Amino acid sequence: MIGALDMLLLAALAAIPLSALFATTRSGRWLLVAAYAVQFGLLIMLQPATAAHSALSFQLLGNAVGWQMDALGWYFAVITIGSAGFAAAYAAGEWSEVNGRLGLSLRWLYAGLQINVLAMLLLLASGDFVSLFIGWELTSWAGLILMLLAGGDAIRASLRYIVYAIAGGMTVFAGLVITQAAVGSLQFDALHAAAPSLGTGRLWAIALLFILGFSVKMASMPFHLWQAPAYAYSPAPGSSFLGSISARMGLFGIALVAIKLIGLAQLDRLSLVTDLVDLRGLLTWVAVFTAILPTFVAMRQNDARLLLGWHGVGQGGYMLLGVIIADRLGSAGGLLHVFNHATYQAILLMAVFAVIHRTGTADLNRLGGLVTRMPLTFLAMLIGIIGLAGLPPMNGFVSKWMIYRALIVDGHPLLFVATVISTLGTVLSVYKLLHNTFLGQLRLEHEQIHEAPWSMTVPMLLLCVVVFVTGAAPGLVLQYVAAAQQAIGLEPVRYILGGIESPTGSLDMLWITAILFAGFGIGAVLFYLIGGRSRRVHQLDNYAGGHFLTADVRYQYSDNFYAGLMHRIRPWYRGSFEWTESALVSALGAASTLARGFFEQANPAQWVLVGTTVIMTWVMWYALG
Amino acid sequence: MHWAELLAELTLMPLVAFIVGLFMVLMMRKIGARLQRRIGPPLLQPLYDIVKLFGKHTQTSHGLLHEFGIVMAVGGYVAAETLLPVPGMNGIAEKGGMITLLYLTMIPSLGLALGVGQCANPNGSIGISRALTAMLAYDIPFVIVIAGVAMHFGTTNLVDVVAQQQAGGIETWGATQMPLLALAGLFALQGMLGKQPFEIYVAPAEIATGPMVEMGGKFLGGLFVMQCFQLYTASVLYVTLFLGGGENWVSFLAKSFAVLVLPISVAFLFPRYRTEDVLTMLWKWPVILGLLGLVFVGS
Amino acid sequence: MQQFPVKVEQPSANKPTGGNIFSRVFDELTTFCRSRSLFILHYCTGCGAIELPPAMTSRFDMERLGISPMVSPRQADILLITGYVSVKTLKRVILTYEQMGSPKYVIGICSCTVNGGMYWQSYATAKKLNDYMPVDLYIAGCMPRPEAVIAGLRQLMDKIAAGEANGWQDYYRRYDYYLGHQQRLFGETWQTPTDVIAESKHYDLFGGDTLGAHTALLQQHQKPLEALEMRLGLTDRQEKGS
Repeated sequence: MIGALDMLLLAALAAIPLSALFATTRSGRWLLVAAYAVQFGLLIMLQPATAAHSALSFQLLGNAVGWQMDALGWYFAVITIGSAGFAAAYAAGEWSEVNGRLGLSLRWLYAGLQINVLAMLLLLASGDFVSLFIGWELTSWAGLILMLLAGGDAIRASLRYIVYAIAGGMTVFAGLVITQAAVGSLQFDALHAAAPSLGTGRLWAIALLFILGFSVKMASMPFHLWQAPAYAYSPAPGSSFLGSISARMGLFGIALVAIKLIGLAQLDRLSLVTDLVDLRGLLTWVAVFTAILPTFVAMRQNDARLLLGWHGVGQGGYMLLGVIIADRLGSAGGLLHVFNHATYQAILLMAVFAVIHRTGTADLNRLGGLVTRMPLTFLAMLIGIIGLAGLPPMNGFVSKWMIYRALIVDGHPLLFVATVISTLGTVLSVYKLLHNTFLGQLRLEHEQIHEAPWSMTVPMLLLCVVVFVTGAAPGLVLQYVAAAQQAIGLEPVRYILGGIESPTGSLDMLWITAILFAGFGIGAVLFYLIGGRSRRVHQLDNYAGGHFLTADVRYQYSDNFYAGLMHRIRPWYRGSFEWTESALVSALGAASTLARGFFEQANPAQWVLVGTTVIMTWVMWYALG
Repeated sequence: MHWAELLAELTLMPLVAFIVGLFMVLMMRKIGARLQRRIGPPLLQPLYDIVKLFGKHTQTSHGLLHEFGIVMAVGGYVAAETLLPVPGMNGIAEKGGMITLLYLTMIPSLGLALGVGQCANPNGSIGISRALTAMLAYDIPFVIVIAGVAMHFGTTNLVDVVAQQQAGGIETWGATQMPLLALAGLFALQGMLGKQPFEIYVAPAEIATGPMVEMGGKFLGGLFVMQCFQLYTASVLYVTLFLGGGENWVSFLAKSFAVLVLPISVAFLFPRYRTEDVLTMLWKWPVILGLLGLVFVGS
Repeated sequence: MQQFPVKVEQPSANKPTGGNIFSRVFDELTTFCRSRSLFILHYCTGCGAIELPPAMTSRFDMERLGISPMVSPRQADILLITGYVSVKTLKRVILTYEQMGSPKYVIGICSCTVNGGMYWQSYATAKKLNDYMPVDLYIAGCMPRPEAVIAGLRQLMDKIAAGEANGWQDYYRRYDYYLGHQQRLFGETWQTPTDVIAESKHYDLFGGDTLGAHTALLQQHQKPLEALEMRLGLTDRQEKGS
């Protein structure tokens, strides 16, 4: 009996050879976009409230291996197929033609995208630990296809990624082995049932191994070094897809294993020094540092793609934080942020790649003033950065607000302050991105460039609509978030269409958005009707202390944009930040004497491997003993 | 609430904010003048300036975004004022709360930053980079204050914060209950006002007033309007969090103006810090005070 | 303190602007506010600058008259030139003047701006400022005391309130005349990054004498200065980098 889930998986599987066949022609690529639409339709037909089972199953070492999709997996799957569809549409037109001529393998690109989608669907639909591990490994290796395509810098970043991914996969496998040893079964239900009776030692081992393994994919600190370059240097659709959703598979794993299977009550048993520090407390601080430090690394980047890549790492910290706090508001915020981040990050990466498509560079010191030449791309990036910075009225604000509120209400003021520091850093960083690309002086060599083609701007602008609508009416997404929360055994969030209704402070984005636009309307009336008629002048008609500006001399401020701030905190990058990093690394379990060498070595990835081997040895000793 | 009543509140709140803000600007200039033993500007000088700027014959624009930036700067504050409860009027304060207000007041700054960006003047861009850095500096102590106040009152709803303080009288005011946070808030307020010693982003003699360098006519007029809103929002927010809000208009206005006297006096007596020293200053003392205050709130 | 007559065609100066009473009241209000709110850009080229601090600070306090110093030409209403103007300086002064938003007023302080003063024999000094831009008011003296500066400013305020300080219109209506003097001093290739002719057309200040022999010379070599308009230019089959 073939169910709806099988239909979906088969469709995704069938689309892989189709992608390889049709990716070289324009109409073929649009056909592939339609294939994503079909997959999306099949996914919508699944009932998110109840788990959908797959007919595919087999026996392994006495364990039944099968696939099923519950509301949590469904929520992530919607984002996955959506991101892939938009990425495919973005590249379907002129982008592929130009890059195909430049030597990019379109067959591999589109097939790789589809393979990633299939792998992620398999992971999201895993029904037990074996299928989880299969999905996990497939996802890790599938990502490599997209990363390797660009060549050059991408190769080095991909190699580094794969070492981390293997280490993460081995850690997950170790967790699986210990689960089998401790519980005697690889079924999800078995762990869930056995968790309350497990000793803290075994529970520590299981929880820590799975969380460490998944954290590598999430690029939580201290495993954050691989992600930004690996995602950034991928070709445009690959980068936008990977940046949107790929790393969130780790969050899915943590939500599934730590929250759903082990359960909050059991997690709280895991404390270190006499109940002072427990695993959740530790993880919240890991999440907070993941939110802060990569943000300030992003601020220093001069390559727009890397800047966004580092922000992707940082935003993962928010999601982890929300999920780990795990109250009804915080976890909803964390899960909602997955959707919101996927939408605006896709916009931002698409906008950056549109700029690269026209100007050939993403170097923030070699751009500027493009707003007059690429206004639609500018608009898309503006909406994207408002989302990323978490300002109203875009959707990024809503999820962050929920996390802030949860932190304040739960009595974590320091965590709240820390997350706001991260947000403020993001505001600074994204303004630099927007300013250095689109504002300031238009360079002489860019005077004749054109707006990106429709095939690229329309997907961006459609996503902008999504970002705006789900910002003004977050209830549209929150209903699925609430279902996902129920699926992992948390209390669902109480939502209204406009946001959150709560006796200790509500949020109604419909009102906030309406009042904001009413305010803009009043501002516009004042400005345009009462003030005199304005006259546009050339950019060289500008104040320069009486100096006569000419087009051949640059009159632009872009390099080292936050000079004053950097003057203050640059020593911290060298000192405290790296000290924190190495301290966290030593917590990984490698010998503390090795930890300092971690950063001094040319290839830190090697040390991750060493660390993992040590853990593996310990695991095997434990499992066999 | 009846919709007409709500509409009246939503119209009146920004209007009141603007008019009160005009007088706050006047007070600021008057205090500056008196400290320098001058007479200072006449009563309606802030209004004269704004009318003149809007009535200029030539309005030099650098493009659509330059214009829209000013619209955002003014419009964002118009919207923000409806989230700030005043005596007898709550507007839509219940729909937002203090965190929303904190982030909504960043919209005007973003608008200004966009407008300045399109001017293609590096002085303006340097000014914005410094202004954003200053924001990073003063918002850290300020969110510590916000966190402490929200924990103390158990809510992020400003209407409830005011109601709790007014129900208990002066001994339940935020300033009485949380003096350390109130002090840290005062530091942050100094930064938020963008006056000396934290006005390196304007620095007239160095970067030609930074963000304002290419702003003339109604563009500058819009920024003058924004300044009125800025002063009003900062002082009223402080009054709401720490001084029991306003029981009636007389005490409300008295408190709001009184709150500004100290920061403005400090502003006219001090020279300015460099950007990195702004960061050191605001990340050190108010943060220490705020964290100590948080400890007391938490215990 | 002597006032030089500026050759102003006065077609619009005393004309009742706007038909209905509402807009007349509005214009009256604007005119009044213009006279009571003056932002000064002081171009301090010579010794006269030393007289301005006392005029601004506690002794004479210009702010009580609504006059305050500003920094960039966009913000300013008054261009205050205090002292001799060398040829090199004059280029900057003219650019600054052209970048200011109308209505704008020029005040020349010290004898040097009137007739070159003690630099009368210098080959490098512009003698009469009002050859190059319309000067609304001269405050003569070497140097004029702050009282004289304040009195001059008050006189300008009265002129503005009466709607008589319209020298700035002359610059647009008779641009050819001023440009001729500028070209005589700076050579035929003289051009500022501003576009005065386009501005005079945009604001209905285009007069019979805006164009002439000198502007024709300018337009021969003028680099175009149209604003960079937002451009969609969407063509789907665009070659990369074209």
